[in-house]
Order: sequence, then C-alpha cells, then structure tokens
Amino acid sequence: MDSKPSADVPVRRPPLPVKIVIAGGFGVGKTTAVAQISETPVLTTEAPITEVAAEVDRTGLVPDKTTTTVALDFGTVAIDDEVKLYLFGTPGQDRFGFMWHDLTVGALGALVIVDTSRLDDCYPAVDYFERTGLPFLVAVNLFDGRLAHELEDVRWALDLSDDTPVVTFDARDRASVRDTLVTLLRRSLAMASATGV
Amino acid sequence: MTTSWWEPAQGGAGPRPYVDIGGPAGDRDPVAASSATSGVRPYLITQGRARPNDTSLRLEAQVSTTDDGARSLSRLAYERHDIVVLCHDPQSIAELAARLHLHLGVARVLVGDLVEAGLLAVRHPEDARHRVQIIERVIRGLQAIS
Ligand SMILES: Nc1nc2c(ncn2[C@@H]2O[C@H](COP(=O)(O)OP(=O)(O)OP(=O)(O)O)[C@@H](O)[C@H]2O)c(=O)[nH]1
Ligand SMILES: [Mg+2]
Repeated sequence: MDSKPSADVPVRRPPLPVKIVIAGGFGVGKTTAVAQISETPVLTTEAPITEVAAEVDRTGLVPDKTTTTVALDFGTVAIDDEVKLYLFGTPGQDRFGFMWHDLTVGALGALVIVDTSRLDDCYPAVDYFERTGLPFLVAVNLFDGRLAHELEDVRWALDLSDDTPVVTFDARDRASVRDTLVTLLRRSLAMASATGV
Repeated sequence: MTTSWWEPAQGGAGPRPYVDIGGPAGDRDPVAASSATSGVRPYLITQGRARPNDTSLRLEAQVSTTDDGARSLSRLAYERHDIVVLCHDPQSIAELAARLHLHLGVARVLVGDLVEAGLLAVRHPEDARHRVQIIERVIRGLQAIS
C-alpha cells in the first residue's frame, strides 16, 4: 500500500456506471442471483439507514442508533468497453427509513425476487417502486422447482399493474438470471421510450 | 468545512485519526469528542457527519485518483490514504467501502472530502440523457453472456 503511483502514469478513464437493484425478503435468493451473473466476487458492505443520517444532520448529535445498518451485496458486469453494470442486492425490509432512495436513484430498474410461500416479504419493495415509478419485475424463485401459486395469482395478490412483468426464474441458474434481467430491461426500455428521455 | 485531516501533522506514527480527528484539543469537535466514549467508531472517522456535503455522490459513482492525489499520498493517513491508493484503479464508492471494510456512509463522507480537496475525481452516472441507448447497450451486453 505504500508504493506511490507516479504522477505521470495516466489514470484509467473510469467506466460509465449503471445499476440494477435486486430486492426481496430474507433468504429469497438475492445473493445467489447476483453471484451467478457477476464477473467479480460478490462484495458486501454495510449500508446506513437514512433516518439515522437525517437525525445527525438535523441535530448535530450522534444518536444511539448509529449502528443500525443493513447488508448490501453487490456484483458487477462489464457490459462493453465503457458501461459497467452494478447489481445491488439487499433485503431492504420494512424498516422505516431504509435507504431506498439512495439505492435506487438513477437505477435502470429493480428485480423483486419472491418466494411464493412468503409473498408479503416483498410488499415494501413493491410499494416503493410503484410509488417512485422505477421499472420493476417480480421474479418468482422456484424453490424445489414448484410454484406454490399460479403467476396470475401472484399478480393479483401483489395488486400489480398488467404491464409489470411477473416471471419464474431460478436464482442458481446463470442463464435464467440473465434472461430475467433482460426482461426487466425491456420493461425499462418501454418506460424510458414512453417518457422520451 | 474543517480540513484538519489534511494537515501533514500525523507523521504516520500518531494516534488513529478517529481519536485525533478534531486536531488540537482546543478546537476539538464536541460531537466527536463526546462520542469517543460511546464507541461509535464510524462516525468519529467522519467527525460525526453521516453524509458528505455533496449528497449527489451515488453508490455506483466512479472515483479515481487525480494527479494531485497521487502526489499527496505521503501527506495522507489511514482510510484517506488507502482510498487514494485504491482509486488509482477507478472504482465505485460501494467497492471502496467493501474493500476497506468501511461503513458505506463513512466511505461516502471521506470520498466527498477528498473530492473537495482535489485529490479524487468523480465520474457521475449519466441520467436522463441517452437513457434509452444505455439500456439497449446493457441488454446487448447481457445477451452476450453465455
Ligand atoms: N432450492 C433452491 N434453493 C435456493 C434457490 N435460490 C437460492 N437458494 C438457496 O436459498 C438460500 C438463500 O439464498 P441467498 O441467495 O443467500 O438469499 P438472499 O436473498 O441473499 O438472503 P439474505 O441476504 O439473507 O436476505 C441459499 O442457501 C441458497 O443456496 C433456488 O432457486 N432453489
Ligand atoms: Mg443475501
């Protein structure tokens, strides 16, 4: 760590970063999915809860709750010689003040992974993405290859709009994760084209 | 903003920066000082700030060392030194936090400070412009994965 890079060595041009968020309840396969598609080993960091940070800003005091964090896993894919895709996976549960804004601002879209035996775990993520207009897709992870509910029942139970894709996938299968991400991005593309940006 | 961390006073052998972050005892930040007993380490590194002044620093924003940063390494200590070394290879704030085992909020504050001091440069994600084209590129890139 002590070797000094020479000032003459040209610094590499940074890639253009884009991101997709992988949300869903605990143990639904988020980290598994990120690991399948990532070219780099999955890294983990602790993310702060926004509410705590706001408290610090407002009062100048450090509240007791400063250790409140949630794990954020992420992997990367070099898309081409310029664009680098980041995949951020987080439980992002129903904790009030979870850093949804931080995590999702500018994201291309979000994958909400659900286990149909615990559907309600994904409500906070679905609520947030619907409210903010972030393109998202519900991916039912087929534990044991069985579907506990029909996909249309999942759509009904989550009260999803007709144009929100609901698909089944296998978080342990690279091609399945890839195809699910592409399906999400087609939805993102449709939404971006519609708003003309 | 205070720039006490930037003075070449530590000489490498001093106390950890989060112990001595307030500089001379006289102008020690009371928040940081009082927290020293509560053991909340991440917020001491950043003098009690949970966020940088520049809240537009995204998790995926690419950070790279500037020429100034490369020349200034000997004047930096601990986390800031490590960040400037790592960013010779441009990377995101998220990667920095994970590699240096820093809380994400802390990494962001430190990067914000170093950017302000001109030692790091940031490539921000581009939003609205070219969004359609970028999504198309990502789709093509993913489809190329076998
Ligand atoms: N049978 C089966 N097991 C799976 C599947 N996907 C993931 N698992 C397993 O389920 C467990 C949890 O998967 P993770 O990828 O760690 O889930 P996660 O969503 O990251 O979990 P947390 O980070 O703890 O919220 C692991 O033991 C996986 O191997 C699947 O499609 N089928
Ligand atoms: Mg996980």
